[in-house]
Amino acid sequence: MRRYSLFYFIGQGFSGLWRNGVMSFASITVLVSCLVLMGSFGLLVYNIDYNLNEMSTLNEIAVFVDQDCSDLQVADISNQIRSLANVSEVRHITKAETFEQEKQRLGLDGYTELFDMLEEDKNEVYLDTFIVSYSDNSRVSTLEYQLSHIDGVTKVNCHTEVAQTIEELKNGIILVFTWFLVILFVVSIFVIMNTIKLTVYARRQEISIMRYIGATDWFIVLPFVFQGLIIGLIAGGAAFIVEKYLYNYILNLITADFNIISVILFDTVELPLLIAFLGIGILTGILGSSLSLGKYLKA
Amino acid sequence: MIEFKNVKKLYPNGTLALDNVNLRIEDGEFLFVVGESGAGKTTLMKLLLREERCTEGTLIVDEFNLNSLSNFKVPHYRRQLGVVFQDFRLFPNMTVFENVAFAMRVIGEPYRAIKRRVPTILKIVNLQDKHKNFPHELSGGEQQRVALARALANNPRIIIADEPTGNIDPKMSLEIMNLLLKIQRKNKTVIVVTHEENLVNYFRQRVVVLRDGRVVEDRIGGMFNAEI
Repeated sequence: MRRYSLFYFIGQGFSGLWRNGVMSFASITVLVSCLVLMGSFGLLVYNIDYNLNEMSTLNEIAVFVDQDCSDLQVADISNQIRSLANVSEVRHITKAETFEQEKQRLGLDGYTELFDMLEEDKNEVYLDTFIVSYSDNSRVSTLEYQLSHIDGVTKVNCHTEVAQTIEELKNGIILVFTWFLVILFVVSIFVIMNTIKLTVYARRQEISIMRYIGATDWFIVLPFVFQGLIIGLIAGGAAFIVEKYLYNYILNLITADFNIISVILFDTVELPLLIAFLGIGILTGILGSSLSLGKYLKA
Repeated sequence: MIEFKNVKKLYPNGTLALDNVNLRIEDGEFLFVVGESGAGKTTLMKLLLREERCTEGTLIVDEFNLNSLSNFKVPHYRRQLGVVFQDFRLFPNMTVFENVAFAMRVIGEPYRAIKRRVPTILKIVNLQDKHKNFPHELSGGEQQRVALARALANNPRIIIADEPTGNIDPKMSLEIMNLLLKIQRKNKTVIVVTHEENLVNYFRQRVVVLRDGRVVEDRIGGMFNAEI
């Protein structure tokens, strides 16, 4: 059985890259920019998510129970809270526990006498509290409404606004990022298509001879597909290196100036990012070249 | 065997290039297809190369019915043909050896086979000493011989030469024609499309004359008078 040499196609792919050096360089540059932007947005969103999870208090609602409620009623309220959707964890802080917490927090600042006085009346002064953790930020308003309508609940404290602002910010970034990416990828594919078209144009006589000799469509098309693939591969690798240095540079700036923000180390995302860059690069390259070769598949 | 049966070719713009062409070419025949510009020679070639399909009639080349041949099978059909063009169509960045080898590489021949066969073919066209030269280092006649060698590389059954002597001097033209006759004697069908009266009349082979898309004369050992 006759076999075409893989090295021949790879060699032809590099040859095409070299013949249209300027356009190939333009394709690689556009694709690198696209991938770096995509990586940066992706890492930004990932970091926001990470920080949202770190700021666990934002995912908690404090539910205060009416002072007149009996222990039985408090237990019933606890069950009602646990049965609600979007509730991931419920923690009960009794009046006595609240008193102890307050005492510890303020006791050292000259309030010892005050707490001694309150010791007897703590059940009248403090309230039973439930700390409710939830899983989905986007449905927190519903949960807050449901909690405030439970019989015996006197007050609900929620960081809804902060949580929702961050969530909205994240969604906004994802939306802008998605559209930006779509546009950039269309541009990348367009530039690659033009690069391949130019190569095909430069080799049109060669292609026509190949046809007369009896070359199959694949034999004619594969060198151009390999050219696209090589463009994608080089762009993916270059984008990864740029992203790594850029991210570490920004990481150093952030950790030096904003201690409250937690930033993921590049090492933890290195491999998935490299795979994603190479994968998207190769896919874009092959897609760009294949789209420009459709008409050359006709006999 | 090549057989045109009532072949008609009408282009979408309304040009009737071939009209009711009936032609039978046996294996190992040498044939001149002659005629003025617009007589239908190029269309006849395009049909044979399966660049175009007949509008009506049937065209059979050996086991291939070109009317019903799918695009997928066209490359395999074309491997039965060796094509030579007036403008040689060699790759300027390849040596003589590489130009000939390319035809074999295209169909997936292993390098060992290429290395063995190319020198033999270059010997047939008497270019064994120039295998390292590039096309621009060769004369027109030599370039056409390289093109002929490339056409022979895959051992085709049919050679189609489109004005093979159009770009070379008369002495070289004779040499090329002699080579084509030599190839025909190796039991290959050779079809030469030309309008060169002198050559046709000198070699006295079968001559098919086309005029306005019709075969007006088909004679073995025939002559051609371009002015008639």
